[in-house]
Amino acid sequence: MTLAAVSIDVRYEARAAVQPTTVALEAGELVALVGPNGAGKSTLLRALAGLVAHGGTVTWRGTPLARLDGRTRARTVAYLPQDPPVHWPLAAREVVALGRLPHRAYGAEHSPADDAAVLAAMRQTDTVEFAARSVHRLSVGERARVLLARALAVEAPVLLADEPIGMLDPYHQLDVMRALRAYATGSTGERSEPRLVVAVLHDLGLAARFCDRVLLMNGGAIVGDGPPDATLSSAAIRTHYRVEPFIARHDDEPLIVPWRALPNGSDSD
Amino acid sequence: MSGSTAETSAPRWMLTAGLGVLVLVAAGVSLLIGRDGGGPTFGFGGPALMDVILKEIRLPRTLLAVLVGGTLGLCGAALQGLLRNPLAEPGLLGASSGAALGAVIMFYFGLAGAASLLLPLGAVMGSLLALAALYALAGRRGDFLTIVLAGIAINALAAALTSLALNFAPSPYAALEILFWMLGSLADRSLAHVYLALPLMLPGWLLVAAAARGLDALTLGEDTASSLGFAPQRTQWLVIGGTALAVGGAVAVTGVVGFVGLVVPHLLRRSVGQHPSRLLLPSFLGGALLALLADVAIRLLPPGPELKLGVVTALLGAPFFLHLVMRSSAREA
Repeated sequence: MTLAAVSIDVRYEARAAVQPTTVALEAGELVALVGPNGAGKSTLLRALAGLVAHGGTVTWRGTPLARLDGRTRARTVAYLPQDPPVHWPLAAREVVALGRLPHRAYGAEHSPADDAAVLAAMRQTDTVEFAARSVHRLSVGERARVLLARALAVEAPVLLADEPIGMLDPYHQLDVMRALRAYATGSTGERSEPRLVVAVLHDLGLAARFCDRVLLMNGGAIVGDGPPDATLSSAAIRTHYRVEPFIARHDDEPLIVPWRALPNGSDSD
Repeated sequence: MSGSTAETSAPRWMLTAGLGVLVLVAAGVSLLIGRDGGGPTFGFGGPALMDVILKEIRLPRTLLAVLVGGTLGLCGAALQGLLRNPLAEPGLLGASSGAALGAVIMFYFGLAGAASLLLPLGAVMGSLLALAALYALAGRRGDFLTIVLAGIAINALAAALTSLALNFAPSPYAALEILFWMLGSLADRSLAHVYLALPLMLPGWLLVAAAARGLDALTLGEDTASSLGFAPQRTQWLVIGGTALAVGGAVAVTGVVGFVGLVVPHLLRRSVGQHPSRLLLPSFLGGALLALLADVAIRLLPPGPELKLGVVTALLGAPFFLHLVMRSSAREA
């Protein structure tokens, strides 16, 4: 089961936000999409989600996503924007339940499967305790987890998440990374099937520890693709982030800390 | 989980049922109360008159109150959901003012008197033209801000042309007739008006109702709505097209009745847990109830010139609107 993007590119007027890109992503993988600000990560994610006009095609198991009807596509690819709005003060549980919209017929009440998916998603994101509270009364981090639960509740085989841990405290950063892993390996929810998770991340250490694969972007192109150790090398981080990293191992896991910003112009091409 | 879902759905069902019962009761009261030069009258003034009074005076008036009030409530709720703004209402899109202009043009050329159905036909044409203009200005893929701005422009143009017609009115009497009609009223309507409005309102309601789940999805913004399989453009044109049809039909038979579409969804939003889709049916019923009660209240006033429905709803609605604005600015401060 593969999400394949074949020579997709996105242009904003004259500027190429994403250069022609071809990449194949497998179910069961937790993929980190990393890169400096303005590298095109969000735009690539939006192109994969079909939310922005792009060249080329994106296929899931051989079928172009553009050819699927809206509902099938919504059940196939779940997308979590970076800091999405919640326009009405719905209860947290009701926000999560919106993720079940593609599964529900017009006017239908929640099915037991819907309720189970909503509860599982809220457990995974540690949001059950404020299920009944209005999202407008939650902290930014709590709200971010509720919105992640909304995306998990779709139970789509593909989850595209834009900075899911950007607003979270350390405990919940670790916990959400664990949840994303669990979602990818299929150990959550009713159906246990491997799924694909692509998450835009800025914490390179967490990306290296939790992800199977890292896509490094810069200047609208994928400049590194592979296992974390290979992609997030000291040289790559210096070149593309203009940062001198501290790289070590702890508990036999990689530890990457951005240590010092490099002066402008040094070590770049 | 399922237990708590049941908890929230029981009052939801009860709210709709309760509003439905209240609408029926208010409609019954509306059938029983009339008005003549001496103020309110009760009952039918004798069995001989009953048939005529019921069928030709009170039934059309009551039915139209339900249809028009319901339309305004429903469309107000849908527009607030679409624009994700509690201050939106049907007048915003220019459908009401376009319809009013169409009717005024009929008055101006003296066609309203010749055949009474030409007036509502003019209003429907005006509403559809306003929608077409909106569509042309905002485009097929227009964003919400463009639509609101286009609505303001259409409203301004329709108001200007209406003023022009008043300015050039052939006689003071004609100008007065136009003004009175624009105030909005349910008095002296016939079943013909019901038959004229209904074919516009029904498809309008259905279009708006078809947008229900799309409105829920829009709660999380346009990107999330798209990713949930509900293209915002589709939701948008369902709501706008439906509103233009239904409100066009309403204005065609009653003139402009404001604020029902603003006030009703607001009063009910909290009791449906803020869900845009769950607000639609209760808002229809609430709008019908408000229009019925306002129209009954008009008939109960002491003797004198009958107040127009649009005047009453504006008198009630404008302070409410002010209250909303002040409360929302207090919350932001």
